[in-house]
Amino acid sequence: MKYTKIIKNILIWIVIIIATVWVFFPFYWAIITSFKMPTVILTKPSLIPFLDFQPTLRNWEQEFGNRWPEISKGLGNSLIIAVGAALIAVTLGTMVGYGLARFRFNRWKNKDMTMWFLSQRFLPPIVTVIPFFVLMKNIGLMDNQLALILANATFTMPFAVLTMRDVFRELPKELEESAYVDGASPLTAFVQIALPLAAPAIAAAAVICFAFSWNEFLFALILTYKNAQPITVVIAGVEHTQGIQFWFVATRLLLAILPPTLLALTAQRYIVRGLTLGAVKG
Amino acid sequence: MQAKSRYKYLFVVPGIIWVLAFTIFPLLYSLRLSFFNARLGKPETFAGLNNYIRAFGDYRAWDTFGQTLFFVSFSVFFTVSIGLGLALLFNRPMPGRQIFRSLFTMPMFVAPIALGYLGLTIFHEEVGAVNTVLRAMGMVNLPRWFSDVWTARMAVVLVDTWQWTPFCFLVLLAGLQSLPEEVYEAAFLDTSSSWDIFRYVTLPLLSPVLFTVTILRLVEAFKILDIPFSLTSGGPGAATQSYSFFIYLTGLRNFNTGYASALSYILLFVMLIISSFFFSRLRKNFEE
Repeated sequence: MKYTKIIKNILIWIVIIIATVWVFFPFYWAIITSFKMPTVILTKPSLIPFLDFQPTLRNWEQEFGNRWPEISKGLGNSLIIAVGAALIAVTLGTMVGYGLARFRFNRWKNKDMTMWFLSQRFLPPIVTVIPFFVLMKNIGLMDNQLALILANATFTMPFAVLTMRDVFRELPKELEESAYVDGASPLTAFVQIALPLAAPAIAAAAVICFAFSWNEFLFALILTYKNAQPITVVIAGVEHTQGIQFWFVATRLLLAILPPTLLALTAQRYIVRGLTLGAVKG
Repeated sequence: MQAKSRYKYLFVVPGIIWVLAFTIFPLLYSLRLSFFNARLGKPETFAGLNNYIRAFGDYRAWDTFGQTLFFVSFSVFFTVSIGLGLALLFNRPMPGRQIFRSLFTMPMFVAPIALGYLGLTIFHEEVGAVNTVLRAMGMVNLPRWFSDVWTARMAVVLVDTWQWTPFCFLVLLAGLQSLPEEVYEAAFLDTSSSWDIFRYVTLPLLSPVLFTVTILRLVEAFKILDIPFSLTSGGPGAATQSYSFFIYLTGLRNFNTGYASALSYILLFVMLIISSFFFSRLRKNFEE
């Protein structure tokens, strides 16, 4: 009995270790590739620094050197787009979420409105990209960060609506109700009582909207061609020069994934709830 | 409370108008476009149902749709089943579980387009990581990942699986942890077989969460575009083009916007059918 238990535990840990290696390997690979000389990458498959190959800072020096203007512009555009989209999505989403959680709508049922916002996530982005392209061309927003802010705010709003609706439903109503007794308007009750209590959740929703806007590629590819290109489109450009340049893929990828992944770590408590659109509590 | 009812629209109307403006309006526009012979920069002529008829006779539409189904079914199956397995393993007191959970969120937040290019280096036939490991293990006929149709498709599935297994894992783990302990205590009195407990206690109790995860994955997987775009560029030939990829090529590379809109509407219709199976159950999540 005791032995089988020990064996079982060992097996469980082996699986856990395999899973961890599986999750981390691509990150590890990107990191070591970014420190390899191009000649090493193309001639000698290697996995362990110092033992297998001699690490070099060459690729990073180039990225931060003569390639930096292009990359920093991409990162800057991504930042503008993701922050702008997250701000809009979370502002509107928090209001809608509060409205759905606190009030009863008769003509449109709350349930149906919630489903309507949720169903926006069911819409494949490819379906709206052509009209968006025509629209942005007509109103002169091509190659403008604003076009991508508008698009991404639309795509990520369901995350904010559903998360915030859920969070407000869990907040006790009593505080707001006592404010009503004192003559406060719903707007005051919302801003002065509910918002501060929900602040951590709002921040987490913003992180999710930020990350998905940062990572968006299709609309960015279609709606920008030069000045407003975010980092995802800049990354896609590495291919076209002389075949695929592993070393720059690695450095750029690391620069591009750092902001959303690190931010996501701060939103831990709300990730499951946010990504399942409030269906599963984390 | 009368005052409240006047104010309540203030909260929801801005969001509704926003979504109407940026979703419904584009959808209506492309619905109209789907009935026209439209090419960017050329005069449009009315085409009636021609674009739709053409789509049903277009082998590329069928092929890419089939490939999408392949990606969707394998990716959903792998992510949900591996995620469930891991969630069951991690659902026990263990040191550093919080750290594991945190770190496992990272793949979901990697831009898929970047991941595809990274995959290109990982699956590279000569110097990629996967073949390096396989060679070290003594394999002689190394897979030519991007030259063979099925290995290229598998590579797409594997990359997508890597990215979204942690999502299923985290959601299912959260689901497992919310199950009532008393039920397990009672179950342990009846049987000591962990399989029986899984089969007759855990699985039924977990099924709503399992259902939600599967749908969300299904819906997301149908959108697949970034990973084939970067990982395989749709190749070899068109073997890894997804349906979205095909629409992209038709509408935005060849600028055949009318036909692309019709193709989009077919996709939208398929999504509607799929989601209609789930809407009523999903709607139950939102009890008032």
